[in-house]
Amino acid sequence: MDPGMDFSGPQWTANEVQLGTTIMAVEFDGGVVMGADSRTSTGNYVSNRASNKITALTDNVYICRSGSAADTQTISDYVRYFLNQHVVEKGAPADVKTAANLVKQMAYQNKNNLQAGMIVAGWDKHLGGQVYGIPLGGTLLRLPFTIGGSGSSYIYGFCDQAYKEKMTQQECEDFVIKAVSLAMARDGSSGGVIRTATITEKGVERKMIPGDKLPLWFEEIPVEPGFRPFAKPAEEATTAA
Amino acid sequence: MSILTYNGSAIIAMMGKNCFAIASDRRLGIQQQTLATDFQRIFKIHDKLYIGLSGLASDVQTLHERFVFRHKLYKLREERDMKPSTFANLVSSMLYEKRFGPYFAEPVIAGLNSDGSPFICTMDLLGAKQFSSDFVVSGTASESLYGACESMYRPDLEPEDLFEVISQALLSSVDRDCLSGWGGIVHIVSENEVITRTLKGRMD
Amino acid sequence: MAAVMVEEAAGFSFDLCRRNASLDKLGIKPPNVRKTGTTIVGVVYKDGVVLGADTRATEGDIVCDKNCEKIHYIAPNIWCCGAGTAADTENVTGMISSTLELHRYSTGRRSRVVTALTLLKEHLFKYQGHVSAALVLGGVDNTGPHLHTVYPHGSTDTLPYATMGSGSLAAMAVFEAKYKENLTREEAIDLVASAIKAGIFNDLGSGSNVDVCVITKDGKEMLRNFETPNPRTYNRSKGYVFPRGHTPVLSSSVKKLGDLVTVEDASPAAGELEAMEVDQKP
Repeated sequence: MDPGMDFSGPQWTANEVQLGTTIMAVEFDGGVVMGADSRTSTGNYVSNRASNKITALTDNVYICRSGSAADTQTISDYVRYFLNQHVVEKGAPADVKTAANLVKQMAYQNKNNLQAGMIVAGWDKHLGGQVYGIPLGGTLLRLPFTIGGSGSSYIYGFCDQAYKEKMTQQECEDFVIKAVSLAMARDGSSGGVIRTATITEKGVERKMIPGDKLPLWFEEIPVEPGFRPFAKPAEEATTAA
Repeated sequence: MSILTYNGSAIIAMMGKNCFAIASDRRLGIQQQTLATDFQRIFKIHDKLYIGLSGLASDVQTLHERFVFRHKLYKLREERDMKPSTFANLVSSMLYEKRFGPYFAEPVIAGLNSDGSPFICTMDLLGAKQFSSDFVVSGTASESLYGACESMYRPDLEPEDLFEVISQALLSSVDRDCLSGWGGIVHIVSENEVITRTLKGRMD
Repeated sequence: MAAVMVEEAAGFSFDLCRRNASLDKLGIKPPNVRKTGTTIVGVVYKDGVVLGADTRATEGDIVCDKNCEKIHYIAPNIWCCGAGTAADTENVTGMISSTLELHRYSTGRRSRVVTALTLLKEHLFKYQGHVSAALVLGGVDNTGPHLHTVYPHGSTDTLPYATMGSGSLAAMAVFEAKYKENLTREEAIDLVASAIKAGIFNDLGSGSNVDVCVITKDGKEMLRNFETPNPRTYNRSKGYVFPRGHTPVLSSSVKKLGDLVTVEDASPAAGELEAMEVDQKP
């Protein structure tokens, strides 16, 4: 029998699910803003166009995931489990640094078997808003802001230029949306919507900016008002009227 | 070459009216060289349960020994014969246990249930079960067997008519497969008797 | 010796791996395994979840089952469509359903979809994609209707509508064009059936019939062969008829069954005992 023909499908068993991604997080006085696109792909197929790459670890600490979906989901599952246990024992909210350290430990100890670049961010009463980058090898870095995923390479220059110290929450949110949308415009593996999470003393506020409400960049074509890609002719007629 | 085609084989099982038939070719070869023309690939588990194993002959014999062994232990413990469906599950889990280093054999299981109704089933080498209400095939001649059975099979045949259909399907199929043939053997099992016949086929 | 033990150790056995690897080194190709090169889908609607699947199973480029079942049982309120290696989808869903059944006995509560999801992803992640099961998991529990996809490497997604398998692209095209929120039961079934048909007709790995399973908080309804768009077109009214005695026979033997064993009640105290059940008929 000739195994040449393979009906197992276009790539999806051979290729691991990848979060070919743009993620970022920015500290401000009193909290952090995290942002991510929503594209999940297997090979060149978008297997989820509205995924959530900003995952909760505890009430006050979140994680941005990039790399292998399976690996990063497993790491966050484990860390969430350990951290919740820790919170119960401690009787107080977890420190962001503790969470980041747990993530680092998982990433570093299993670095030969993992493909995971993550950003841990959150707020605690000791150090306020904090951003920790945990890139591929399992290093742990505290940074005022950090970007990650395949899309990030397109926006390093922009971020270095646009980042200002002591930004307000609103300025940070605008910065994140601008940066992520720029990356989505240039990176084929990033796209969909932008999801953000703003974590402060008061808790977390999550936002979603749909694809047709994102800022437009060089040579991008605006979406016509009322445009529905799959609307039936009859519906189109009524919308026009 | 795949190791499943190393020795060559052709197996069919068919359902009849309150009976079933299971048939195989009798060739044992090493690729193009024929070693034996009386090789056994269909084994009796008990009076009303048979298993045919296509694929690598050494694994066929090893598996046969293990199945007979497990059935004997079952009989000692339970004081009864295995139901065909139970046996199919046993075979399936024994094959899946070796998921990452499998036996190179694909079973065909045929038996009579306690109410006299027939049961047939086949699996791939990892133990993925496929039940059928008409016929199942396995072996290097499986492509031609599918075609032959697809057109020759009719439901609710009496044992003697079922014998003719399964034999014709087997003989016509192995003629189009270099690796199987050299006559055949058929077992037709009904409530009261087992008829075993060897078939005359081409010897080339 | 392990082979002689009746209660063998649980889990996979790797003792043929070395032999098979040496065959591999000789340049012998690994054999084909049965795959369900599949179209499977699911959609969440107003009161529950609708799952759908085609019914073709392939082995290489051969159709080895024209009407197989790809919607597997997980729990009474949770079902799972499987694509990938048939043995893996069958065994993985079987294992998780038995774990959940024991879990229900010990907790006395209905199984939750996330529990099934976590068990599945933990198992698949452990085997790093070598257990190739791609699943669409759907169900209704105390927290409402849920739909998830599970990939062979152990990653999961939560979606309002999902497709998997080689026909997933064809099926997703239908969903993207026709899905809307708050579908009714009938609309959801229709949408699922047309997505599966897109796979059946446009993907070579998918074919035959449409299976549908509707799960609500009140129970599930399995609509096996909900649509049969590919009936047999080559039926001969009389079939091939071979007269008896047509096939040349070299030898023939008959073994009579049934009257080999007679069971008699020899015990005088039999009245106290229920009649023993014996398989062999007198």
